[in-house]
Amino acid sequence: MAAGAMRESGFGTLGGAGGALLEVRDLEKTFRRGARTVQAIDRFSLTVSEGEFVAIVGPSGCGKSTFLHILGGFEPHDGGTMLLNGAPVRGPGPDRGMLFQEFALYPWRSVIGNVAWALEVQGKPKAERIAIAERYLKLVGLSQFRDAYPAELSGGMKQRVALARVLAFEPRILLMDEPFGALDAQTRELMQEELNAIWQQTRNTVLFVTHDIDEAIYLADRVIVFTARPGRLKDEIRVKLERPRRIDVKKTAAYMGYRNRVWDSLREEVLKAREEFR
Amino acid sequence: MKAAAAPFSRGRRAALGLALPLAALAAWELSARYGTVPDYLIAPSRILAATWEMVLSGELWRHTADSLLRAIGGYAIGGAAGVAMGLLAGIARPVERFYDPIVSLTYPVPKIVVLPILIAWLGAGDASKIAVITAAVFYPTFINALYGAKGVNRLFVWSARNMGAAPLQVFAKVILPASLPQVLTGLRIGLALAFIVTVAAELQNSRSGLGYLIADAENSLRFDLMYAAIIAIGVIGFAGDRVLVALRRRALAGQTLGKEGAHG
Repeated sequence: MAAGAMRESGFGTLGGAGGALLEVRDLEKTFRRGARTVQAIDRFSLTVSEGEFVAIVGPSGCGKSTFLHILGGFEPHDGGTMLLNGAPVRGPGPDRGMLFQEFALYPWRSVIGNVAWALEVQGKPKAERIAIAERYLKLVGLSQFRDAYPAELSGGMKQRVALARVLAFEPRILLMDEPFGALDAQTRELMQEELNAIWQQTRNTVLFVTHDIDEAIYLADRVIVFTARPGRLKDEIRVKLERPRRIDVKKTAAYMGYRNRVWDSLREEVLKAREEFR
Repeated sequence: MKAAAAPFSRGRRAALGLALPLAALAAWELSARYGTVPDYLIAPSRILAATWEMVLSGELWRHTADSLLRAIGGYAIGGAAGVAMGLLAGIARPVERFYDPIVSLTYPVPKIVVLPILIAWLGAGDASKIAVITAAVFYPTFINALYGAKGVNRLFVWSARNMGAAPLQVFAKVILPASLPQVLTGLRIGLALAFIVTVAAELQNSRSGLGYLIADAENSLRFDLMYAAIIAIGVIGFAGDRVLVALRRRALAGQTLGKEGAHG
C-alpha cells in the first residue's frame, strides 16, 4: 500500500509506513437508560495500519457511530483498550480529526475563518495559519469561496470545507462519521470521487463509518462489517481494487464480487436489527 | 447579496407599514377638529405644537435625560448580570439548578410591585428606580442567555475540543458566538422592559422623568403635555430598538444569512 511513502504533494506529514497506528482491543460500551442497560458494543477489536483506509458498515443503531465517538474521546467506554501510536486514547485531541455528518461549521466564521481556526487553537501565527488554510482550501477546490459564509454554500461544499478544516491541523488519523450521509445521492457520488482523489494525494489514515456499501468498497482498503446491536466484528473484507480508483471501477466484475460479499454479510444483520424494532 | 426576492421594494414595504398609522392619525385629526370627541382626545396637530414648545423650553429634554439615565443604568446592570449568569447557568448544570427555582418562581411577578419595598430600603431617589429596572431586565436576558448557551449545537463544541481547544477557548470562541443570537434577543426584550418599568416607576413615585411628566399633566388636565411625553417615550424606545437591531445585524454576519435578508 506504500502508505506514508508518497509525501511529495506536501500535505500532512505522518511518517512511518505500514505499522499499526491504531489498536483497539476488546472495546465494551453499555448505555444506561434509567434502570435499563443497553449494550452498544461488545468486545470489538480492530487494528488500523498507518496510511490505511478502513470503512465500517453496519445496520443502523449497531454502535458504529458510537465507536467513532469513543475513539474521538467524546464518549466514555466501559472496557477494553485503545492505543493510538502506542499511547492510550484519553479525551478529545487533535491527533484524531473528526468529520461529522452535519459538517459542524461555525456559521459566524467565513470559510477561511473556519479552516484557520483549528490552527489558531494550536497557536500558529496568523500568516502561517492563513497560508495553510488556503493550501487546504485549494486541495478541496474551494479557493474562490474563501470569504463566503457556510450558509451560502451547498451541502457538498460545506463538507469539503469541514474536510479542509480537519486536514489542516494534520491529525494522525481521520475519523469520518457518515460524512456524506446528509447529502443527496448525486452529490454524494461526486464527493466520494473527490475524497478518493484527495486521499490519493494526502494518504491519511482513515476510519470511515457509513451505511452505504458502495461508498465503503469504492473508498476503502478494508471493509469491516458490524453486527446488529450489540456491535461486534462480523466480517472483514480486504478490497484489492487497484488504486487510483476511478468511478467506473464500480462497473467491474471484481467490484460486484466485493459488493455481493459485503451485502451477504450485512443483510443478515440488517434483518436482525429490524426484528428488534418489531 | 441578491436582488430583493420580496415582492415589494424597500420603499413600498415602508409605505405599507406606514399606511395604518397615517390613516389613524388623519381620522383622529379630523374627528378632533370637526367631530364631538372627549377632551382628552386632542388633535394631533395640537399635540405636536405642545411637544415642540416643550422641546424649545428645554423641559422635555430635562425629563427625557432623567428617564434615560434610570433606564440605561438599570438596563446595563440587569443586562450584564442576566447575560453573565445566564451563560454560566447554560454551561454548568449546578449553576442552573441553583437559579432555577428562584427564577421560575419570581419570573411571573411584575417587578414594579416591589418598588415600595425598594423605596423603603434605598430611598425615593434614582437608586430604587434603577434597582427595579435592573430586576425587570434581568429575567429576559438571563433566560435567553441560559437557553442560548444550553442550545449550542453539541458538534460545535465537539469539533472545537477535537482541534484541541481549551475550555476557556471553547467558551469564548464557540459558546459565546453560538448563543449570541439568543442573547441579543433577550437584550432586545430587556430594553423594551427597561423603558416600560422606568415609566411605571416614575408614574408611581418621582419628581422628574417622562413618567412623572405624564402623571403631572394628567393631574393638571394638560392632555397635550401628556401626549407629548408619551410621544417622547415612543421615540426613545423605537430609537433604542433600532440601535440594537443594527448592532445585531453587524454582530451576526453570517449567522443570519438567508434568514432575515441581513446581507441584502
